[in-house]
Parts: sequence; C-alpha cells; structure tokens
Amino acid sequence: MASAPRPERVLRLLAGCLPPYPPPPPTVGLLSMEQQETYLELYLDQCAAQDDLAPPRSPLCNPVVPYGMYILNASNPDTAFNSNPEVKETSGDFSSVDLSFLPDEVTQENKDQPVISSRHETEENSESQSPQSRLPSPSEQDIGLGLNSSSLSNSHSQLHPGDTDSVQPSPEKPNSDSLSLAPITPMTPMTPVSECCGIVPQLQNIVSTVNLACKLDLKKIALHAKNAEYNPKRFAAVIMRIREPRTTALIFSSGKMVCTGAKSEEQSRLAARKYARVVQKLGFPARFLDFKIQNMVGSCDVRFPIRLEGLVLTHQQFSSYEPELFPGLIYRMVKPRIVLLIFVSGKVVLTGAKERSEIYEAFENIYPILKGFKKA
Amino acid sequence: MPGRGRCPDCGSTELVEDSHYSQSQLVCSDCGCVVTEGVLTTTFSDEGNLREVTYSRSTGEDEQVSRSQQRGLRRVRDLCRVLQLPPTFEETAVAYYQQAYRHSGIRAARLQKKEVLVGCCVLITCRQHNWPLTMGAICTLLYADLDVFSSIYMQIVKLLGLDVPSLCLAELVKTYCSSFKLFQASPSVPAKYVEDKEKMLSRTLQLVELANETWLVTGRHPLPVITAATFLAWQSLQPADRLSCSLARFCKLANVDLPYPASSRLQELLAVLLRMAEQLAWLRVLRLDKRSVVKHIGDLLQHRHSLVRLAFRDGTAEVETRGKEPPAWGQGQREGEVGNNSLGLPQGKRPASPALLLPPCMLKPPKRICPAPPVSTVTGDENISDSEIEQYLRTPQEVRDFQRAQAARQAATSVPNPP
Repeated sequence: MASAPRPERVLRLLAGCLPPYPPPPPTVGLLSMEQQETYLELYLDQCAAQDDLAPPRSPLCNPVVPYGMYILNASNPDTAFNSNPEVKETSGDFSSVDLSFLPDEVTQENKDQPVISSRHETEENSESQSPQSRLPSPSEQDIGLGLNSSSLSNSHSQLHPGDTDSVQPSPEKPNSDSLSLAPITPMTPMTPVSECCGIVPQLQNIVSTVNLACKLDLKKIALHAKNAEYNPKRFAAVIMRIREPRTTALIFSSGKMVCTGAKSEEQSRLAARKYARVVQKLGFPARFLDFKIQNMVGSCDVRFPIRLEGLVLTHQQFSSYEPELFPGLIYRMVKPRIVLLIFVSGKVVLTGAKERSEIYEAFENIYPILKGFKKA
Repeated sequence: MPGRGRCPDCGSTELVEDSHYSQSQLVCSDCGCVVTEGVLTTTFSDEGNLREVTYSRSTGEDEQVSRSQQRGLRRVRDLCRVLQLPPTFEETAVAYYQQAYRHSGIRAARLQKKEVLVGCCVLITCRQHNWPLTMGAICTLLYADLDVFSSIYMQIVKLLGLDVPSLCLAELVKTYCSSFKLFQASPSVPAKYVEDKEKMLSRTLQLVELANETWLVTGRHPLPVITAATFLAWQSLQPADRLSCSLARFCKLANVDLPYPASSRLQELLAVLLRMAEQLAWLRVLRLDKRSVVKHIGDLLQHRHSLVRLAFRDGTAEVETRGKEPPAWGQGQREGEVGNNSLGLPQGKRPASPALLLPPCMLKPPKRICPAPPVSTVTGDENISDSEIEQYLRTPQEVRDFQRAQAARQAATSVPNPP
C-alpha cells in the first residue's frame, strides 16, 4: 500500500472529502500539544490507508480549504462537543499559530478539538454514537514519524473515533516541532520525515544568482585574481573558483553573478558572499543584492530496478522515455514542478526545485509510483 | 439560357453557350459580350457567372502558405515516399508539419531546424502507427546530427502536446532482420551462410524477448540488442559451419552496419544463456562456455520461460535488503558460485543457485564508493576572514610578472614564422 504524502492528506482532510475518509475522532478533549500532533499524525496515517491514488497537493494551494473546514464543522454541530469528563483542558498556546486561513467561526469552535487517532478505537463510549465506519487499524508505517507512544496512553479515554467530522486544524503545531515554515504546512518539515524506507534525496548542486550592483572591469578582475579565468572570445564572463565551499562563479561585467556547485543553500550563500568580497577587495563597490536560489538538484537511489517501459505506458502524460536518445526516463511532475530523471538501476535525479522541500515532496510522490514497477 | 445570370454589359438574360476554337464560352445574344471564357477571366464579378476568380482576390490570400512551408510540406511528402510508407501516413505527417508551423517559434527557426522538423513529423507519424522507424535511420536520410534531432524532437512533442508511443520492438526486429542480406546465396555469401528468413526471424524474436525479460533492453538503444540476437540466431541455426564467423564479419556479409554496443550486448546475452543452461541437467554436464552454448540455443529458447524462472531469482528484494549494508554489496553476485562450492558437491551435479535478475548496471560493483556527505553546519552568514580572501588575490609583484608573461606570449604568437 502506498502512503500518500502528508501535505496532500491534510489537504484532503481540510477540503472535506468525507466519503473515502474516516472522520477524525475529535474530542473536546484537550490534550497537550505533543499529544495532539501525535494523534493528528496517527489519524492521517489511517487516511493514507484509503488514499492510494490521491494526487499530491499542497494545502497552501487549495483555496477551498476554509470553506471545506466550515462545511465539515457545520455538518455535525451536535457531535462537536463530546461529553467526556476525564478530558483535561489544554493550555495550548496558540499564539504562534496562524489560523488566518480559517473562517472565524471555525477558528473559535475548532481550536480546541484535536484529531484523534483510531488506534484507540477500542475505547468505550462513542462507538455506538458514531454513524460512520470504523477506522481501520493503523498500518505500521508510523515508525518514521517518530511518534511518542507514551503520550498516547494518557488519553485513551478521550478518544472517540468516528464521532464527528470536525477536523482539527492542522496548524496546531506542537512546540517540539520547530519549523521555520508557515504553520499552515506543518506536514512538510525541514528535516524530511520520509515515509518511504528512510531514503532521503541528497542535494548535489545549487545554482544561485546575486546582483553586485556595480559595473565590473573583467580584465582587471582576471589580472588581479588568481582563481579567475577570462576568455572573452569564448564567453563574456569571468569564471572564478573558490575552495571552500567548493564552487564556481560566473561574474558578468554588468555586476550580475551566478554561483554554482554548492551542496546546500547556506553554502551557496556563503560562497556568493565570498565572491562578492573578492570583487570588493579588487576595488569595486560590490554589494550583495537579491540573492536568489534559482535551481536545486538532488539525487537518490531507490535500490531496485525499474521497468521504464511500463512506467512510460502508465504515466504517459508525464513521462518521456526514448532509449534511442537517453537511457533514463524524464518524468515532469506537475505538483511540485520538478523534473525527475529515472534510470533502470533505480537511481533518481530530481531537478528544477527552488526549495529543498520541493525535492523531498517530489521524491515522496514518485516513490510509490516506482514501487509499483518493482516486479517486472 | 435562363438561370445563368445576366450579361454585365447590357443586363440581358439571354446568354448562349458557344464554343470558340474549342474553348467554351457564354455569350450574350443581345450585345455579343463574352460573359465567361474558360479560365481567362479576371474580375470578381465573374465569380457570379461561374467564372474563375484570381487567387489574389479570393480569401485564400489570408491563408497563404509561405514558400518555406510549401518546401517543408514537399519534403515531408518526399520523405514518406522514399521510406515507402502507406499513403495515410503522408497526410498525417503533413498535418503535423502544418500544425507545427502555426507556432511562431517554428516559423522563425533556422532552415536546418525546419529540415529536421520534417523528419520529426514523419517519425511521430510512424511511431503512432507502430511503424518501426528508428531515429538513426531518419538522421541518416536527412544528414542530420542526432543531438540536433533529439532537441527538436523533444521540443516539438512538447509543443504539440503529442502522445508518442514507444518504438515497437517486434516490428523493428522484423524490419531489421529482413534487411540482412543472408537469405540468398551470392558471391559474398557462401551457401553455408544462407539462412531461411522465417526461421531466423522467429528465433531472433525469441532471443530479443529473452533479452527484454532479463533487463538487457531497458534503458539501452534497441538496435544493438537486435543485432546481437540476429547474430546468435543465425549462428545457432547451423553452428557447425558458423561458429567460426565473428560478429563483425557477419555484419559485413549481411551488408549491415555493426553498431558499437552490439558486442557487449552479445556478451550479456551469452551470459544469460549460460545461466539458463546451468539449469538443464544434460547441458550442465557439458560444461558449456560462450561458444559451445550457441549449439544449444534452440533447446534453451524452447524452455526459456521456466529456465529463466529457475536460473534467476528476483533481484529486487535482494538488493533492498542488502542495500542496508553497502560493504556486502559487491559480494552478492558471487553468492551463486560460493553457495555451490561450499556444499562440497561436485559442480555439475547440482544446478547453480539462482543468480540475481538485475540490469547489468546494477550487477557490476560500483566504480567508487560514494561516502555520505558530512553534515554541514554552515549558516551562510559566517564571518569571512580577510586572509581567506587574500589567498585568492595576486600580489602586486605577481601582477607585474603575469603581465610581463602575457606580453611575452603575445609577442611570440604575433611573430608568424620564427626564423
């Protein structure tokens, strides 16, 4: 069974796709932030069980979300608040949470309703109340999610699977999860939690540009800098290299610069700053404006051979496989907009990303597809 | 005659059809004005009298086909005729060319690109009808570079949003094999080398299917595999006389170019056949090698499905489990032999344990171990020390030396012939 990427699951959840999904068991029950996040993750994993072919989407891009949230909540107002005296109020600190995407009513009502996992569906009460189907027992894929099982035991009594459809707004970030991304997407953390056998694409190359904002004399730069080469007949820019981080820069006379070869965004920025310093030391009033990462390339190995002919048949609209021209299959993923080169040995190259998360997301999307072609 | 219109001069309706020097004319019987005159009329009002209208006055002017487009369309038709394609292909290819021409990028492209575009349209048409035309063949016909062809082909497929199916391997085998000149004796082809076309075709097809199943075709150019398969098929049909003939000589005899990768495909195919032979008891005792196995290709192909199943085990599960311990990677492929010998039984009495069924690129040990890159703690905002930057700058003395050296080099090159 393929596990769907998490942002997409959150999206489906919020967009109110009721029929295929088990309704999230809520509770007035207010758990600690860690527990809420844990239950959210557990719940979402069961959604994955019924979610084989869902297309990946980012919750950021779905304008339907607020409306969907409202619908979900409004449909079951009576079951919104479950009476469970054992539940304790959460002291949930919502100050860091950005709920602006939600309509006001939903924000007020739903703030305190975590999504509960059906792992605790064995618990008493609500089973009779719930008209919806039982949640399937969660798969064992949660291992990679780093769940803290001890926190689950506390709230057994609070869990009422299938009670209502009111959905926990996912932005309730746990404190432990220090994300620098917008709270709307807590499911795409910077450290990739890859649910596919722990394979994480490694970044191989970052291309960035920066504007030094001054006209440069390339001949002078080539004369005074040891690490520069300049051949105006071949190319109209100075090619400069530094050793740490090991990168190459193309410096144009307009003051624009391209920096390539770094293995991470920070390294690329540091390298670009070093080039700017070299240019400064050569006597030009160089500044450091508009640093932007233009392209990121990552690669990884799924470790099994792939039938490229089969893949091009089933995913014709995205794939291009011409063995007469190139041994790999070129897969143009739409969301995120990444180009993947897939080879028969199982090696995958991902390129065209502006953000690291796009590479991780693209790999999470392609992995279930590739697994489908494992057996010849 | 009534109903044929009015005379433009006098407006009478009495128009008579008459012939003047075998040219039919409509003449007004009142004033004698010639109303229509075959194809020699020029005014737009003539159209009402069933007279021809010039192109410049018709609406065809707006859809005028430019000369270069006309040339391109002619080239498409010519190419289809040279390749002896069915007539329906011609119309489809022409339609694709016209469709491509509507895009401004194509209209403004260089002539070389438009020429290659002709080949692309024909290729797409053939692919969609499962006609086995290779890109190499088109490039040879157009005297085009494969790189140029490749870029334009990818561009046009994306531009037109076309669904181009893969090259049909079975059809390619039939066409390619038929091009081998081995089916009739000739001065260059001795009698013992002549082969029956049907037998060779069917055996080649079986060998290509075997190659496909054992990961020898995926990701590779299809033609060298077929060349190797044809060679093996031909050899195996009369091994006694033909084992002495090499692949290169075979292609020369058959008047077919030998693609460079064909010899390595041949070795891979022979390795697969040897593994399969290990599973047949009466072949195991023979201790076959790459040359002697050719004699038994017929038997091996007959039972190829079960032999492949026996000889190879699924490599995918193995690779994944072993993937966790990279150091053990290189030893996996030797497991077959090791397992055999360790049991102490004489080789040949037991079938070899199944080898991994993986593409050859996964079976070879990795060229270099790629260590995981160290986790970098760079923040991008560190201080950059002056000394670090200084190391990249030339000292004034070095600058002077460099300039002197450059000047000397300029002087040397500017003197054309040293005395």
